[in-house]
Amino acid sequence: MRLLKTTKWLAAACIALAGIVTASAQDKGLENPRSTTFRKTLEGKKVVFLPLSMGFDLTEGWAAVMRQQAKRLKYDFEIRDPAWSTDAGTRALQSLISEKPDLIVAHNPDIQSYARLLAQAQAAGIKVVQINLESNTQTDSYVGADWTEIGEQAAQAVVDKCSPGKGASTKVAIDTGVPTAASDVFQLDGIYRVLNQHPDIQVVSQQATEYNPEKARSIMETVLQQHPDLCGAIGIWDNQDTGTASAIQQAGKGDQVFLVTSGGGNKVGCENVEKGLFNLYISYNVPLQGEILNAEIARLLLSDGTAGENKTLYFNPLTQITKANVNQRNCWTLDDLK
Amino acid sequence: MATSDALSRLRYRLLPDRLFGELLTKSWIDNVIPALALVVTILVMTWIVPGYLTVANLTDLARQVSEFGLIALALTIVILSGGIDLSVGSVFALCVLAALVSMNVLGLPVGVALAATLATGLACGLLNGVLIGYLRLRAFITTLVTLVIYRALYDIIFPRLASAIVGSMPVSPTWDLIGFGTVYGLPVSFAIFAVIAIGVHVVLSRLRPGWRLRAVGGARRSAYNAGINVKLTVCLAYVASGLLTAIAAFLFSARLGSTGADTGIGLEISVLTAVVLGGVSLGGGRGSVGNAVIGSILVLILTSGLIRLSMPGSVNQLILGLVLIAAVLFDAKWVKNRGKLLSKVYVSPTYLKLPNLMPPTGTDVLAVNDRLGAAELIGLGAVEGPEDVVLDRDDNLYTGTRHGTIVRFLAPDYARNEVFARIGGHPLGLAFAPNGDLLTCVGGMGVYRVSPDRKVTKVTDETNRSLLSVIDDSRLRLPDDLDIAPDGRIFFSEATIRYEMSEWAVDALEGRGNGRLICHDPRTGATRTILRGLIFPNGVTICRDGQSLLFAETWACRISRYWFDGPDKGKHEVFLDNLPGYPDNLNRGSDGTYWIALLGMRTKTFDLAMRKPGFRRRMAKRIAADEWLFPNINRGCVLRVSATGEIIDALWDEAGENHPSITSTCEHKGWLYLGGVSNNRIGRVRIEGADPQWTAHDDYWGKR
Repeated sequence: MRLLKTTKWLAAACIALAGIVTASAQDKGLENPRSTTFRKTLEGKKVVFLPLSMGFDLTEGWAAVMRQQAKRLKYDFEIRDPAWSTDAGTRALQSLISEKPDLIVAHNPDIQSYARLLAQAQAAGIKVVQINLESNTQTDSYVGADWTEIGEQAAQAVVDKCSPGKGASTKVAIDTGVPTAASDVFQLDGIYRVLNQHPDIQVVSQQATEYNPEKARSIMETVLQQHPDLCGAIGIWDNQDTGTASAIQQAGKGDQVFLVTSGGGNKVGCENVEKGLFNLYISYNVPLQGEILNAEIARLLLSDGTAGENKTLYFNPLTQITKANVNQRNCWTLDDLK
Repeated sequence: MATSDALSRLRYRLLPDRLFGELLTKSWIDNVIPALALVVTILVMTWIVPGYLTVANLTDLARQVSEFGLIALALTIVILSGGIDLSVGSVFALCVLAALVSMNVLGLPVGVALAATLATGLACGLLNGVLIGYLRLRAFITTLVTLVIYRALYDIIFPRLASAIVGSMPVSPTWDLIGFGTVYGLPVSFAIFAVIAIGVHVVLSRLRPGWRLRAVGGARRSAYNAGINVKLTVCLAYVASGLLTAIAAFLFSARLGSTGADTGIGLEISVLTAVVLGGVSLGGGRGSVGNAVIGSILVLILTSGLIRLSMPGSVNQLILGLVLIAAVLFDAKWVKNRGKLLSKVYVSPTYLKLPNLMPPTGTDVLAVNDRLGAAELIGLGAVEGPEDVVLDRDDNLYTGTRHGTIVRFLAPDYARNEVFARIGGHPLGLAFAPNGDLLTCVGGMGVYRVSPDRKVTKVTDETNRSLLSVIDDSRLRLPDDLDIAPDGRIFFSEATIRYEMSEWAVDALEGRGNGRLICHDPRTGATRTILRGLIFPNGVTICRDGQSLLFAETWACRISRYWFDGPDKGKHEVFLDNLPGYPDNLNRGSDGTYWIALLGMRTKTFDLAMRKPGFRRRMAKRIAADEWLFPNINRGCVLRVSATGEIIDALWDEAGENHPSITSTCEHKGWLYLGGVSNNRIGRVRIEGADPQWTAHDDYWGKR
């Protein structure tokens, strides 16, 4: 009985197969239903990027990578540019909450200002990815550097150069950016975690430059006048630290002061390493972050989960760039990304 | 000819072209253009941005307006005072810091945090105020410097506390309510803003501090001369600015719970743009809360709309800058030209046809004589502008002067005079009440009473507002003459509601019924307008029936009678028409007659001009005021008419040396006293055959 049934099925299958083979002479493959769904789900979705400001390497880099994917997968990608104004940014965010896009990529000016608004956005059903600068609110996803790690690496590098007997002195200066931003708050924590273990290292100056190279330059100028034997300096961002570096070069102390900075790894930063302006450049790799961001955007847009239901984060790997490893792989230009 | 006259009459009756000029005089006209700009912007945004006019979006806008608008109010107050406050952005940052340190770091209660924030704003504002108000430094430079100083303070304090501020979040429902809560669907912060804005509006537009502030901003020296404490007013403007900025900072702190290095940077420019765009004049003295609010909404819509349209940030700032320049340019042009435009269009002549005038013949009662030529002069050079003259029971003579006083000449020879009372405005018509109180119409002020012990009290300075009048006609502009009815009611004329005391003669160019007759009833304290549309109503005299009054309509050259009581109550008819001149005050005379003072004589030219409103309009627009064709108000006479309205006598000053233009008469014990609004003397002539015991007092109130 069972055998008979199986035979019947086999026969039917053979006939069907024969039919298919005769109907189409060539093999055209199978439709992948997942691909169709993937594209269909993403098409027409709306993603808005709220950067600190456009017009500098990090945000332009991320935007270029995100725009490419948006174009490829046919979803909407818009940028709201508050031009360095936290207030304009909060207003843009507030109006986004009523506008209800599917996903917001937020770049926090500090860890508090957007915090409650991001929570509100999620409550309103908008998924939120934070990029590189976190806020106090953990959202659906965070992609970016672990600032504590950067701080630890930077401090460790300085400790290696400036421990007693190794450098001109044990004096170290720290140039921060905006004191309430994640890059400051968490990085300082990382720096002091290391420095506290090395009590012989003295921090002789710790000042905020507000991401402004001119201010960074004048701060370092003063520091070098007060402490001509400065051994190391930790800057918080390569763009501002071009100022720090130029103050060091002008004072003729390029060989004495070991300058560590961090940034997105763009060509200009790399060139500064080559020129010896930065001794160590910790890169958080913008193209890589852009790709991870894209993956997170796609994942979240595809997911049926509601906003804020599952919170994940990914601290992307860091690259320590020195004169030894300035190369194509570690450094990028905006044109590469477009 | 007749049909074109009729057409002309119809055209000027039907087309109310005076309204244009009247609209331009309103203070809210400054708001109209910004308001229109706002409407256009909203329409454009609705068109460009889909779903712009949604509740969510409007709520959002309301929340933004509350913080931004408060700072705009702060700046408006300072600009009204004639200054500028560039330090608002830095004050804002310091106040935000104070609020956040109180809440996040020190964990103080919300009330204490608010007090600390306000104290910070107060201190910053006070420093500005003392420097600018008392030490008289330039506002622009001073606040530019304090902008830097306050910012430096912020930069010193903030990094030390930054981690502590962002590291903790206060647990306070009130704090969260202020930041995020709603009442009846409105954000709490907006409700707070609305209450404050209404409060500031009331203070600025209705209360003394606001008026003083405008006065100081509009004309500092005049304000000082008027007795305003200019230094204090300026100082307080900056203090108010600091306090309002502090409130805005408090709302901002509650909303964001954080601050950045950029907090308040560039705020002064965007707020300045808002304020100027809203129509607050940078020159000082002009502007309102409405201006500030309209401007704030405009700027917020522009900036957030541009971000929403994904414009690059630098382009936004460029556009905002261009808008500021355009607004400043418009403000400058508007302030400069509004007055010019107004002076060009305000005079709005209309058609007025006077009956044909027959020239007097040799034997006519109106023939020129020289009976006033021999007038005795009283107080030559001691009085200026004695519009009306009146005598009391003790034969003392009273008159008002341009200096704002009532001068008394003492009987019997009137050689000595004294200031009887100081009023403040030019007293015009005078009349004695039976109890000896002197009542007077004061130009630009109202009706006042001076008791025999010289106490000055206001009787009334307003009447009921008519519904459809653009000009606020509740205020008395030019009360002219008054008389008292047997029951104590005061009837007075207001010559025109369109011109001030100083330009009364310009009203002649219009020939429209701009004046009215008003009644004040002391029993109820109410003042009501009883007749409108009168052509420069001037003298008023109660008839001997106690039920009607006579009043002169100067430019219409007629005397009318109005019954305010009795069977004919409400009746209004012409008593004497086609006078040869322009009648001013009317007074009772002996033998049941009335005296009419003519301040000028009619001329054929001007009568013709009155039938050609287009001509007068062109004249007013094109040539300077001192070259306009005015009625002849240089030379008049005194007429005596019977109770039935026949002219029975005329007194002239043939040489024109003593009393060519007469604005009032007063018969007293056989003498006729003469006043003239442009004279520097009072005259008196003996009236032949008059009862030497007759006084107006006895005629009105009986012998004592």
